[in-house]
Amino acid sequence: MSVAQGTVLSGLGVGLNSAVGEVHIVKPQAPLPEWTKSSKSVDEERAALKTAISNVSENLDALGVRAGGTSAEIFEALKFLLEDEELFEVAEGNLDDGWTAGAAYGMAVNTFAEILGGDPDFDERVKDLQDLSRRVQADLAGIEMALTLPEIGRYVLVGDDFSPADTAQFTKAVVGVITLKGGPTSHTAIICRSRSIPAVVSCGAAADLENGDTVLVDPVGDRVVFGGDETLATKAIEFVALNEEPVIPVRANIGTLADAEGATAETKAEGVGLFRTELLYLSANTAPSIDDQVASYSAILAAAPAGPIVVRTIDAGSDKPVPFLNMPHEENPSLGVRGYRLIQDHREFIEDQLKSLELARVATGREVWVMAPMIATVGEAKAFADLARSIGGYKVGVMVETPSIAAMIEQLEGVVDFVSVGTNDLSQYLFAADRMNPSLGALLNHWQPGLIRTLARIADGGKKAGISVGVCGESASDPAFAVVLAGLGITSVSVSKSQVTVVRNALSSLDLGACKEIANKVLAATSPEAAKAAALDALSQL
Amino acid sequence: MSAIAHEVEVLDPIGLHARPASQIVKLVKESGLTITIGREGEEFVKANSALMLMSLKIKTGEKLTLQIETED
Repeated sequence: MSVAQGTVLSGLGVGLNSAVGEVHIVKPQAPLPEWTKSSKSVDEERAALKTAISNVSENLDALGVRAGGTSAEIFEALKFLLEDEELFEVAEGNLDDGWTAGAAYGMAVNTFAEILGGDPDFDERVKDLQDLSRRVQADLAGIEMALTLPEIGRYVLVGDDFSPADTAQFTKAVVGVITLKGGPTSHTAIICRSRSIPAVVSCGAAADLENGDTVLVDPVGDRVVFGGDETLATKAIEFVALNEEPVIPVRANIGTLADAEGATAETKAEGVGLFRTELLYLSANTAPSIDDQVASYSAILAAAPAGPIVVRTIDAGSDKPVPFLNMPHEENPSLGVRGYRLIQDHREFIEDQLKSLELARVATGREVWVMAPMIATVGEAKAFADLARSIGGYKVGVMVETPSIAAMIEQLEGVVDFVSVGTNDLSQYLFAADRMNPSLGALLNHWQPGLIRTLARIADGGKKAGISVGVCGESASDPAFAVVLAGLGITSVSVSKSQVTVVRNALSSLDLGACKEIANKVLAATSPEAAKAAALDALSQL
Repeated sequence: MSAIAHEVEVLDPIGLHARPASQIVKLVKESGLTITIGREGEEFVKANSALMLMSLKIKTGEKLTLQIETED
């Protein structure tokens, strides 16, 4: 089916710039065939396996040349695994048992994966082996494995959703991205925002697009226009900063020393609203000593932009495991033992983290606030606050991600000094919509009235309890939404480094009274489209 | 046909990993010799396979014995 010129396909926009390009459809990878016995001779299967291995080997050569430098050595080492003589011998044994080439190689790799398994030093190699095995099996089945993207030209990628491995392969020729599924907090959206690639996600109607079509990706208009050119692009509201300071502080989200340095050098962020600490632990095989933690924290605190630094204690779970905490597999990791709940089995680790932060706070003389993620009850908030205050002289708060604590903000009076709303997780739990499920993206739209009204109640509760209420989720990166947040009574926002300037400009372009008026109009809406339209309409009349 | 045995110590700080293993395999293949390697008292593996070398799970500082079959 073809699409008529000028047809508008609605979705959710990511970014403030538009792009025109030629449609390049990325098909989901077909599943690999089941392992079966072969109807061909062993010799034929052996020859097929040899050809497939040499095809994959050539492909690795090409990837190595493209990567260059030390990465080329990695591809060289992969080739040694791929073409390993013993591996081939084991595969030949399987061929003799009558299996097809793909099955024989896959089973041989499994044999070695089992031998090497259980040793953390070889985990990555086992993953490499399994990846090679899939490549060989895909080659045998004639299935395209890797994304093959054009290097020159102007292309708009269209696909269901893109994995981290896919987005890592985006070339310079990728000027825009459209996903049929996946929401504004999907991996694709986050990568496109950070790399400034215009994108429209959750755009189901894009299924009708064909290779070679020309489209306008118009994120500000939350749409794709078939055959459209740049003149049709919806202009982002140009916020002109009229005041020196924004109506509420705009802080930066950081995870590493480089983030802290970048936020200081490139932005006017007022401190850090979310320092994600798990990155220091996710790659460690053993618990870092207090000395090591103090050194890392001190360097990051010292480099962070002037202002308070809000540190979140470890936010890990079985989907984001910390190797040395030995987390059991869970059916439902996002509803399982994660964040502060880890204290059940790992109290000492959380205490060490708080001790390290206190030593780093004293060493650097910075204003540090600490908060715990995944708090569901006032009792948990109190337990964390008591623990933190017994260890250090920082302000103490909790994240608001669960609907249960969102209903109890007023009751946190005298318990904590502040709360910070993680809108990504709050949306996930409020709408019972898995953030990782690409089919549920539309429910995770931050303009959903159910979320906005919940935020209004949280802000209200904070005001009554006399505690400050920040927002540190992706939603605050949308400048129009940041204005609404200020109007709802949120007292600070924190956004990724790349969004600080645009959000600051928006919040410096009007006074708090105007923010409140806009928020009231948005609160009257009963659909996300109406809520966003109400905000943009009110903003354009300023 | 005789065998020459030689004891070696693994100095690589991360043990006998994929890259060092594949470098050994490369040299072994170039030499054209039949070389086996292993811990004294355990089963030896052929040094023409990086995967077999890795399967020994050799750590830094371990002593290994190298056996070279030769007619010379």
